[in-house]
Amino acid sequence: MGQIFPKWTNKLPTYIAVATVVAVTAVVGFFWYYGSPRYTDVGYQPTQPVPFSHKLHAGDLGMDCRYCHNSVELSAHANVPPTQTCMNCHKLILPESDKLLPVRESWGKKQPIQWVRVHRLPDFAYFNHSAHLNAGVGCFDCHGNIRQMEIVSQAQPLSMGWCLECHRNPDPHLRPREELTNMEWVPPPDHARFAERIRREKNINPPEDCSGCHR
Amino acid sequence: MSKDKKSRRTEYWRSLDHLHDSPSFQAFQERMHYHRHTLTSNAMSRRNFMTLMGASMALAGLAGCRRPVDKIVPYVSQPEEITPGVAAHYATSMPRGNSALGLIVNCREGRPTKIEGNPDHPASLGATDMFAQAEILNLYDPDRSRHVLNEGAKSKYEDFVSFWREQLERYQDGRGAGLAVLAEESSSPTLARYRREFTRALPDARWVTYEPISDENILAATEQVTDNRLELRYDYGKADIVVALDNDFLMHESGSVLAARQFAERRRVSGTDDDMNRLYVVESGLTVTGSNADHRMRLPSSEIGPFAVALAQELRKQGLELNGLPTIDAQRFDQTWLRELAKDILANREKSIIAAGRRQPAWVHGLLLIINEAMGNWRKTVTFSGLIGRTISDTSALRDLTAAMNQGQIDTLVILGGNPVYNAPADLKFADAVKKVTTRIHFGAYVDESADGATWHIPRAHFLESWGDAISADITHSVVQPMIEPLFGAHADCEMLALLATGRDQRGYDIVRETWEALFKNDFEAKWRRVLHDGLQAGSADKVILKMTRGNLREVMKNVDLTPQKLSASGLEVNFVQSNVADGRYANNGWLQELPDPITKLAWDNAAILSPKTANDLNIVSGDLIQIQFDGRSLEIAAWITPGFADNTITLPLGYGRRLNGRVADGVGFDTYALRSTGTMHFGIGATVTKTGRTYVTANTQDHNTMAGRPIVREATLEQYRKHPRFAEEAVEHPPLENMYPPHDYSQGYQWGMVIDLNACIGCGACTVACQSENNIPIVGKEQVEKGREMHWLRIDRYFGGDENDPAVYHQPVPCQHCENAPCETVCPVAATVHDREGLNNMTYNRCIGTRYCSNNCPYKVRRFNFFNYTSDMPELSRMAQNPDVTVRSRGVMEKCTFCLQRINAGKARARLEGRTVADHEIQTACQQVCPTKAIEFGNINEAESRVSRLKQRDRNYNLLAEFNVRPRNSYLAGLRNPNPALQAKPRHTKKKVHTG
Repeated sequence: MGQIFPKWTNKLPTYIAVATVVAVTAVVGFFWYYGSPRYTDVGYQPTQPVPFSHKLHAGDLGMDCRYCHNSVELSAHANVPPTQTCMNCHKLILPESDKLLPVRESWGKKQPIQWVRVHRLPDFAYFNHSAHLNAGVGCFDCHGNIRQMEIVSQAQPLSMGWCLECHRNPDPHLRPREELTNMEWVPPPDHARFAERIRREKNINPPEDCSGCHR
Repeated sequence: MSKDKKSRRTEYWRSLDHLHDSPSFQAFQERMHYHRHTLTSNAMSRRNFMTLMGASMALAGLAGCRRPVDKIVPYVSQPEEITPGVAAHYATSMPRGNSALGLIVNCREGRPTKIEGNPDHPASLGATDMFAQAEILNLYDPDRSRHVLNEGAKSKYEDFVSFWREQLERYQDGRGAGLAVLAEESSSPTLARYRREFTRALPDARWVTYEPISDENILAATEQVTDNRLELRYDYGKADIVVALDNDFLMHESGSVLAARQFAERRRVSGTDDDMNRLYVVESGLTVTGSNADHRMRLPSSEIGPFAVALAQELRKQGLELNGLPTIDAQRFDQTWLRELAKDILANREKSIIAAGRRQPAWVHGLLLIINEAMGNWRKTVTFSGLIGRTISDTSALRDLTAAMNQGQIDTLVILGGNPVYNAPADLKFADAVKKVTTRIHFGAYVDESADGATWHIPRAHFLESWGDAISADITHSVVQPMIEPLFGAHADCEMLALLATGRDQRGYDIVRETWEALFKNDFEAKWRRVLHDGLQAGSADKVILKMTRGNLREVMKNVDLTPQKLSASGLEVNFVQSNVADGRYANNGWLQELPDPITKLAWDNAAILSPKTANDLNIVSGDLIQIQFDGRSLEIAAWITPGFADNTITLPLGYGRRLNGRVADGVGFDTYALRSTGTMHFGIGATVTKTGRTYVTANTQDHNTMAGRPIVREATLEQYRKHPRFAEEAVEHPPLENMYPPHDYSQGYQWGMVIDLNACIGCGACTVACQSENNIPIVGKEQVEKGREMHWLRIDRYFGGDENDPAVYHQPVPCQHCENAPCETVCPVAATVHDREGLNNMTYNRCIGTRYCSNNCPYKVRRFNFFNYTSDMPELSRMAQNPDVTVRSRGVMEKCTFCLQRINAGKARARLEGRTVADHEIQTACQQVCPTKAIEFGNINEAESRVSRLKQRDRNYNLLAEFNVRPRNSYLAGLRNPNPALQAKPRHTKKKVHTG
């Protein structure tokens, strides 16, 4: 009786096995990379209603972050400034600028400017700005170098795993109080000693429990 | 079933079904413990299911690709005092009848979200009750009226103003004849000022005050005895003996919040040397006060007066000087009870209170006032406060007004708040009488029964939107200030009355300020700022000290018939009582509708409550629809059997059966006002009952979440406690508790714990509503409650013990116990419920996949499952009431008490910001903060000197189901009763130990 299958079919199971492994790895790898916030969220740069430049204000003009985001040390929210804060200066500076038209409109009509949120956490995560600043975590660690950003984009994935990396080892992210808003700050060589001291002094012990952020 | 198990089960029971272990009870338990729920009653067909699922799968794939665009909307110009994300707190007061409750309101970005008591207010000392808590939901009620209506069509307030100016001019020519105002009770000095102005301008106009439930009878008595119309006030903190005759002073009398606080202060037994007060209650229906009694006697309401006379007679026999007392045949009352009660009262001269409730007629109050005076209680435990412009309901004036309306003497009727068409006595036929009035002006928050057919309807602002003022029961002058602009452009009470009296359309702020300017002689601005900050004028509390002027018993008791009334199954006594929705004004409030009644545990309904014996005589079972014939009127209502009610009486809670209130209230329950007449405002005799043969489905939670007959609630008498101080802990014997796993280390940092004092808890239910408000707990509705799916994180278990007809009652609040060895955690397949290092049992909603294993394994049955997305169809406006610090849960997710995690985190963040640790008592849970009796204490158990640690050291402390080695963080202080040793006390305390293991 002749053979039904040709000889090359002997290798078929091996091919199938290899192909399956490759396919599964590819699919998992695809989602691992392209599905993670590191790919989907980092670099998110929506167009804002006002072409506001952080690079100009915070970078070139050297304004402190807290001139506008003034509740960041008091509240869970780092507030987006009211139109009034813009108008404090822009009543006199560039009062006719086209770029500032939406701001003047908001001020005149008493209608708020609707900014597009860049850094978005899910509703069940309760992040507290004041607690982090108070512990000595600077703006840069989560928001990147805002001073260099013409239009703000998301610098970090803001995923739970990313949060926990720092909660498990906060030391590299702690800085002196006066450097909190400094985007160009470089840790001095003896930073480890400083971090250890500040952790002890302020009893910094970041929670890794669910209750730390979820309620 | 073994004999032991049987006897244990009957020691404490939730319901008669539980006591007799009826098939329906077993079936419910089976369903509850094994969660054999069906999802919906109208099951979906397979085909529909496939269609829907297919479509949603296809759509889900598309929607998932795009990141949602979120907007940030800042202020245009930010108010100075607002920091986004930080709550602002403002003091205000809640006007309540002729008194007020001091409040602190928590506002988020200008939006009130939570009400707390004002600790500086002497009339409440920081406590509130379920009604005050529920006001937040009333503020955001989407059914509130939104427009001025003229003949039912939308109109403008300006149009009404010009209409009224014309009217006013016309009436001023005729001195106001033909004009009548029907108002609610009020304590506001501003309203009093404009009322005077109104009467001055229109002397012949009628001003009638009416409330369906009021202190009218009590004031009539003070007038008779002292010559002054005065409000009676009791200081329960100074009384060793309290005798409450038909007097629910812990729950439904005026000033109950303060009374509960004072009463509980005398029951905070810290050791075996401590003493506590003794409460005797004589009442017909079982009330919250009655359920806390040390001795309780069931008597029909019509026998309470004669009982008071018999007691007076006994007191006189034992040496109290009482002249002019009519004789009564006291044989029909328990002689030993009377004798020992009188002896106990006389042994506590100047330290006792003998008080009747507002349901009793004036002569009973007059008699008790004279007894209290003879006992030397006046000035000590019994004081008076002046009315100073506070108004009191006058039912006879309402009767006269209705007669005048029927005779066509009234052509304009202004209904200023209130809902007389719904709640006026049925014999007045008020609804027909209003139709004879040419112009009816209705001022109210809802287009309700009284607004139906009115010429004008003017929306009334909520007190959280209004300027105003009020005087509390202790005469503390308090201010009402708005937390938010009126949502629907409604007008405050003072603005409306100012317009009525003067024709001027003024701003509330100016009106109130003007009143207070007259109050302060000099330095107004500074004092006024202080008042606005504090919410009250410090030191304005006042009481009236007086002597009895002419009151003598002969006068008080003339025309009183003391012959015993024959009550029987064919001549029953009906009683009208307040309910969870008060007199009906809270009927559209879902929180209060869903809160089970403290005694009957009925939610979303009222029912005719009967004692087991009466029901047996009438051959009625719970849930039967019955027809009550009374006084020529009839009412069809569901029957509900509850132990502890007097035989041959029917108790009818008021406030349900609303016709025109809103989507929550309408058609819920039965309108018991239909049987109430001017002669029988509170009780009456001669009702008959017939069965209709039909039944009615009620949502009753009394058998929900039972803990399978284990010794849960533990209590003893004071005497037993002194002999066995550690009785509660020793009630259960178990083998040594060992764990398979290495223990967690809880020795560092904050370790949160709670203690609930069962001796202080009165079972009022304020904590449940406060929890619902704080934690965004959904309202699920009657159908879901009936299936056992209520979502309350904190429930109050009510147990009966002893005699089936005359049981002892115990209340036990049960939140999540936050076990250190939590059984829920070990069975969760996805680690959605885990422990944190501060000892809290966390529930992580976004991990939960809804297996409900945790709930099955929870011995306390405190976990709640979202069978539906209860919040999704919540009106946008009601969502404004939600706490932004708490996640709103979706369908398919388990939830439970978190010990108010958001408050703990906020407290810790605040302390860290200020560079310190959290102080003791700094973080309060919502249930703790609201509690009128301070029964709940929360704090750090790692700190030896914290209040909670000290309470846990007390000998009455016990852990619920400690024998399971779950190590709960919440513990209880066992309840105590203080019966008179001379009276044969019913055995209450578990003598037999329960062996487990």
